[in-house]
Amino acid sequence: MNAPVERVAALAGIGDSRLRKEDARFIQGKGNYVDDIKLPGMLHMDIVRAPVAHARIKRIRKEEALKIPGVHAVLTADDLKPLKLHWMPTLAGDVAAVLADEKVHFQMQEVAVVIADDRYIAADAVEAVGVEYEDLPVLIDPHEALKPGATVLREDLAGKTQGAHGLRTHPNHIFTWEAGDKAAADAAFARAPVTVKEQLLYPRVHPCPLETCGCVASFDPVRGELTTYMTSQAPHVVRTVVSLLSGIPESKVRIISPDIGGGFGNKVGVYPGYVCAIVASIVLGKPVKWVEDRIENISSTAFARDYHMAGELAARPDGRIIGLRVNVIADHGAFDACADPTKYPAGLFHICSGSYDIGAAYCRVDGVYTNKAPGGVAYRCSFRVTEAVYLVERMIDVLAQKLNIDKAEIRYRNFIRKEQFPYHSPFGFEYDSGDYHTALTKVLDAVDYKALRSEQAAKRKDPSSPSLMGIGIATFTEVVGAGPAKMCDILGVGMFDSCEIRVHPTGSAIARMGTITQGQGHQTTYAQIIATEIGIPSDVVQVEEGDTNTAPYGLGTYGSRSTPVAGAAIALAARKIHAKARKIAAHLLEVGDQDLEWEIDRFKVKGDPSRSKTMKDICWAAYHEPPPGLEPGLEAVHYYDPPNFTYPFGSYLCVVDIDKTTGEVKVRRFYALDDCGTRINPMIIEGQIHGGLTEGFAVALGQQMPFDAQGNLLGNTLMDYFLPTAVETPKWETDFTVTPSPHHPIGAKGVAESPHVGSIPCFSNAVVDAFAHLGVTHMNMPHTSWRVWQQLKTSAVAR
Amino acid sequence: MEVKLEKRFPLAVDADRAWLVLRDIRAVAASMPGAEIGEQVDANHFQGTVKVKVGPASAIFGGDVQLLEIDPPARRLRISAKGADRGGSSASMDLTASLGVVDEKRSVLVGSSHVVVNGKFAQFGGRLIGQVSELVLAQFAINFEAAAVALPSCPAAPASAARQVAGAMAPRKTELSAFAIMWSLMKRWLRGLFGVRT
Repeated sequence: MNAPVERVAALAGIGDSRLRKEDARFIQGKGNYVDDIKLPGMLHMDIVRAPVAHARIKRIRKEEALKIPGVHAVLTADDLKPLKLHWMPTLAGDVAAVLADEKVHFQMQEVAVVIADDRYIAADAVEAVGVEYEDLPVLIDPHEALKPGATVLREDLAGKTQGAHGLRTHPNHIFTWEAGDKAAADAAFARAPVTVKEQLLYPRVHPCPLETCGCVASFDPVRGELTTYMTSQAPHVVRTVVSLLSGIPESKVRIISPDIGGGFGNKVGVYPGYVCAIVASIVLGKPVKWVEDRIENISSTAFARDYHMAGELAARPDGRIIGLRVNVIADHGAFDACADPTKYPAGLFHICSGSYDIGAAYCRVDGVYTNKAPGGVAYRCSFRVTEAVYLVERMIDVLAQKLNIDKAEIRYRNFIRKEQFPYHSPFGFEYDSGDYHTALTKVLDAVDYKALRSEQAAKRKDPSSPSLMGIGIATFTEVVGAGPAKMCDILGVGMFDSCEIRVHPTGSAIARMGTITQGQGHQTTYAQIIATEIGIPSDVVQVEEGDTNTAPYGLGTYGSRSTPVAGAAIALAARKIHAKARKIAAHLLEVGDQDLEWEIDRFKVKGDPSRSKTMKDICWAAYHEPPPGLEPGLEAVHYYDPPNFTYPFGSYLCVVDIDKTTGEVKVRRFYALDDCGTRINPMIIEGQIHGGLTEGFAVALGQQMPFDAQGNLLGNTLMDYFLPTAVETPKWETDFTVTPSPHHPIGAKGVAESPHVGSIPCFSNAVVDAFAHLGVTHMNMPHTSWRVWQQLKTSAVAR
Repeated sequence: MEVKLEKRFPLAVDADRAWLVLRDIRAVAASMPGAEIGEQVDANHFQGTVKVKVGPASAIFGGDVQLLEIDPPARRLRISAKGADRGGSSASMDLTASLGVVDEKRSVLVGSSHVVVNGKFAQFGGRLIGQVSELVLAQFAINFEAAAVALPSCPAAPASAARQVAGAMAPRKTELSAFAIMWSLMKRWLRGLFGVRT
């Protein structure tokens, strides 16, 4: 018998930094993405898009395109009308045009599709489709859109004063959503000796995954079956939607998400391209492929953020916060296609009281239509948590500056204390666990915070210093793992998730999941959970996801929900198997169930360590000699409806040096401490944190989607849209504490989004801190050299 | 993408003679690099095309030109043009051009234009549209002056003027090339280095 430590290592279970199972195929170029799929007789689709942001369509001429050899069809809204597919429902209770119906609402909106023998012919045919537009006034600024007499964007909603989330107060208004206690917050502000207010713009950005969106739709007219390979983060929900829209029974709709090259929220929604490819395949009886290019991806698929936030804090002179008020104008673009749980049109934005014990809080979000692409997805975050964390982490710095209190000290004074958990926030969340003081102290000690502040003070006194030095801190709390079905649903389906495990006679296993990996390494980490729970090596556990014909129903992967929800489903399915295995072991060892104890990979008879049965033995017995009265086999299914969200947290610190001549922001140091509860694979966690920090860096320092007055998006190529490479990316230092979630079966909280959510305000705080002694309290992102240089000039410190 | 330009070009011809060119929309178009007037739809509407090339991006904007006003006493022309390119761009222009008298032999062409460009051309070419517009207008003024100079010294009868004007047009480039733009930008930059203000 091997020593226990060796047996634990052999399992490569929870806590093991084992290499990723999926990398063997990715690093050899053997991945299987949507664009790798080629079916016999497959046709290709391309999309005619609007060059203008707001216009009436006077005429669409197809004839010239149809004359091109190899062109099979040109479809417009008029062709989809008889099928009632020219508009489709959105996740947010609105409708969105599949193909522009009489009017275009944003630049690059889908106007017609062309289906041809190959991609080249399709592209030529797109140019041959003539569309005549009559320009209409364009609304880009959501504040302008809400003015009395503003151009009405959604004529299809004329007269509808009730939207999916209550009263619409203006033709361009979508909803008003409130949380917290307004009267209590107002009272706190009325009596507070100190208040601060700041207008913060979280600009519109795009998740920009490396792989763009696309699908291959294949309808079999003989069997009446529709198979669609799709870049989807939620294949089961898509199957339900496709079935509802098409009338094809859900059992005859098969959605397959193959390998996916990054999602970050961008691949949650159902896009017109998918719908048109499916319709084209049904009409033509042939497989139809559609894969968008980069410009189409950035211009027309789901954006993130675009929150115009007014934040206010009320406090005592010692910096203790007693009240928080937030008013947000949310630019949702032309259709409300925001991907949120049904009851929460502003997602989980009401986590905006953050890591702080604030007595009274209130927030209000107003959704607005503008002539921009629809979307509003959680870009590497849980539903609007990034915006919420940015708000509170920026505002606490504004308050610290006003009161001249150190930015670390003011956080200590306001943290929810360890003994207050489970903590009930003024917005109604129940924070599961946390230890914020320990985390921040560990970071400040690691970077020698006092020395950094001394260095900064010396630099500020020295007029010949070529740079400004800024120190940013962010001590964030996320809410992830949506979520409890009593609170969270998508299109009426509760946000549970699922796992089915089949253990084979020889001791290997296959697990099928309702989630879908897009780079998170599910095939590795899920197998590790099973390895530890049932004692078989993670190497022989296969994990399959993404095929709705084989996987149990699940809500998909986004909002850091895979580990908190599906990870729990796996653990509990594995425990069902473990319980049956105990019965088999007891039968084999001829003892009672209670006479056994579990050790790593085997059941041992209590008091007689020489008698034991390994899980491998038990697997064979399950199919060979099951106990009388027990059905053969070793399988389990578990659907997990989480009792609560999980609340990962972290403490980040960033040091920047800003060149007084060029405005360039150099990240000298970035120290990220994360607490995601139980750590399943530390190497994957490290990779996730590096990725999230890099995307956070991209957002804070460069990403934006600028529009001109005509609604032209002036940043829809990678020439303009900032995707950092190894050249620009700073060095990351990571650290951790472990505060398990008390309600999760293995105590895990989810990690992939924390670094994105937490780092963005940390960068902003560092940049603003560099200017703090000059009276600057806020600078909007992105902190590009040009914009920072303008602040240097305004503050009269440019060289 | 929106560009507003106010320009004054001194001409070495008298205002009456220059007006013979300006009042004729075909002659005006012939002076504009890359522009061509096609079929006349009715008294005030024409079909036309403008070909522009900026680096790898080239576009042919085809559309309508509308004559809004011809005011002989004020020697003023107002036109509006609107067109689209098959590659996903569209553009519109409102132009007011008038002639002022300087002396018996010289005049000044005063132009005011408002150009709006949408779609791919605005997205890719946005950074260059201001400069390109300036260059197009500068080249236009040179061509325009040449056309006016080439007219017979005696103002002809209105009926035959157009034919004469068209006949007098010098051979010209049919599009504005990227090379010309880059060269022009380079020259300006070099002049800037030596402190010459343009």
